[in-house]
Amino acid sequence: MMIVKIGVIVTGLCLKSMSVSDEDNMSPHMQLSSHFLGDLLDSIIVDVASECHRIARLGLDRNLEEEEEELRLSAQARVTVADPSNSGETNGKYVVDIFGQTHPSVANEVFDCMNCGRPIVAGRFAPHLEKCMGKGRKARAKATRSSMATQNRYSRGSPVSAYSPYSNSTSTNRLSNGTYSHTVEEYSNGTYEEP
Amino acid sequence: MDTRNSVFANPKPCQHLTDYKLRHGLSGYKSIQKWLKANPYGKTSIKMCETKIPRCLFCNGCHQGRLFLCLICSSMSCSDHNLLHTQSEYGHDIAVDIERSELYCCLCSDQVYDPDFDKVVVSKNVMDMPSKTHDSVVDDLMRRSSKRRRLNSVVDLDLKRSKLLVSMRDRRAKSCYPLGLRGLNNLGSTCFMNSVLQALLHAPPFWNYFLSERHGPETCKKRSSDQLCLACDFGVIFSAVYSGNRTPYSPAQFLYSWWQHSANLASYEQQDAHEFFISVLDGIHEREGKERNSNKDNGGCQCIAHRVFSGMLRSDVTCTACGFTSTTYDPCVDISLNMDTTNFSSVDVANKSVRPNEDTGRSTLLACLDLFTKPERLGSDQKLYCQNCQERRDSLKQMSIKRLPLVLSLHIKRFEHSSFRRSSRKIDWFLQFPFSLDMTPYLSPSIVRNRFGNRIFGFESDEPDISSEFEVFAVVTHSGMLDSGHYVTYLRLQDQWYKCDDAWITEVDERIVRAAQCYMIFYVQKMLYCKANED
Repeated sequence: MMIVKIGVIVTGLCLKSMSVSDEDNMSPHMQLSSHFLGDLLDSIIVDVASECHRIARLGLDRNLEEEEEELRLSAQARVTVADPSNSGETNGKYVVDIFGQTHPSVANEVFDCMNCGRPIVAGRFAPHLEKCMGKGRKARAKATRSSMATQNRYSRGSPVSAYSPYSNSTSTNRLSNGTYSHTVEEYSNGTYEEP
Repeated sequence: MDTRNSVFANPKPCQHLTDYKLRHGLSGYKSIQKWLKANPYGKTSIKMCETKIPRCLFCNGCHQGRLFLCLICSSMSCSDHNLLHTQSEYGHDIAVDIERSELYCCLCSDQVYDPDFDKVVVSKNVMDMPSKTHDSVVDDLMRRSSKRRRLNSVVDLDLKRSKLLVSMRDRRAKSCYPLGLRGLNNLGSTCFMNSVLQALLHAPPFWNYFLSERHGPETCKKRSSDQLCLACDFGVIFSAVYSGNRTPYSPAQFLYSWWQHSANLASYEQQDAHEFFISVLDGIHEREGKERNSNKDNGGCQCIAHRVFSGMLRSDVTCTACGFTSTTYDPCVDISLNMDTTNFSSVDVANKSVRPNEDTGRSTLLACLDLFTKPERLGSDQKLYCQNCQERRDSLKQMSIKRLPLVLSLHIKRFEHSSFRRSSRKIDWFLQFPFSLDMTPYLSPSIVRNRFGNRIFGFESDEPDISSEFEVFAVVTHSGMLDSGHYVTYLRLQDQWYKCDDAWITEVDERIVRAAQCYMIFYVQKMLYCKANED
């Protein structure tokens, strides 16, 4: 946050220097506007500086050192990982896991399907189950409309909802690696009010 | 400077301020109190006269930087001339910046702080507030924080008991690796499920609950009447994973139960891990909730899913015309964060390219949390009805956290949908996240206090709540593209990181985790983390 504030101050100062640099070539009208802009920018800059000064003096940023340390470690980590000579752990090829085991790309454990009783290979269980249970892509199209409904159904009765549509942006935020679903998170301000 | 016993470090006053206080006490502060006026954005200014512009006594300027009002004789001087005033009038060292209501020592040329002054400012702010706002805002500011996790003692006992159970099974463990580490077979594009399961299996309050057999086939009412119970199936996975058997486990029964619970999500295709997470918690809540909520003594759901993950969010909507604030509370089991698009670095600003490069943008978790709690202007199409003004007004909305859960799950919204372009994309930016996270600045008291200019309230003495400190224990990462990618979970057990890639469990260096593309990050209260890793 402090970094953002310092950024604001720097931007403000840049804007100021840009606006007053050409003063000699400006008409009196423009000079006046330029001065007003300068005053406004000054005021904003001092606002930010005053806030930061207070935060620093009152010790409200006591975690600053820890935060900077985390940033440093993170930057270091990225450099190390990006270095091709360190690619040992980052590539996807595994030889053995920590228990000394190896695993095939398709899980080969066999067990009985709990729906139909047939023995199924683990790695193919999901596609089997889908057909077995009669689910399928047809259900998918309506997925999120009803998933919103599912998630809202208990927010009516009980005082606590496990899913609360509190965010205010109507962006979808689903990361799937198949077809994605459009979940619109509606802004709501007041589904539950504490007495 | 003792920072541990209070939220604010008590700033040591300069000699001039001390002398001023000795001689004049609070009279100067009280004399200007009537002129203090706060705007709805939180800045308090001193307005002495509605018709005249304040001017510097010496240069008659009104725009020379800051203007300072002398606390003794009420004369005005600008930043160029305030030293002249103090030189011409002995003892007139302390002044107030009229635009910001901040004390200024002319001899030290620095802003100074006095809790008594802040108290005067805040009292005036409170007096001026529209009546209904008073309750929600002031109570939070004034109340001593007496937050002590109500579940702490309960959880303590549980940890001991489950550790005993876990150590009894030690004999079957194949190696010296922590128990509970076991690969999960991919049943066909189910890495979204495996990744979340791994995180849940290692959430300290969760595993101790399930391993202590608080919910088992004997106690479960649903099971006995032959109905499906997601919590039971979840318990089965726990037992399997902590059994000591290290061959990868196939969570097939769980998948079956889950598809029956979330019929709409039941299909063979890759899905969103976060959606699965919400769905599973809902399933556990449904089965458990009815049994446990019979005696709602402390309000809120007592099912394990909510006891562990549920927190409370606070939303304040402020009218920009009159300052009236309406506050509502919403429970949540996680927080979804937008990635902060501002990306300041001195290099960018110097190059006059402040806009982040789309491909190489980066952000930090703290920046996302700042964005989440930032006051947001509601668009002119979203004008809310202000009860005080009795009409629709432009408003500001600000979120904060009223109560933190035991396990804080943060979801990063990496998926962006553009309605004009009718396309969706994944934001691949790197997000830095800390291993140790202090949530104090995002709690409601901090946010509300910040809205009031971070004034010191002399009568408040909240101790920094240790339950605001969190440690990461699981990170779910996503790699690849929007429609073809892979989820992997990194777990931190006894300060060693493990990569859980479906059936493959491998050890990794913490730097790999720091550099990974996180999608969901799970933090647990530091106290619980330390206890869980005590071995």
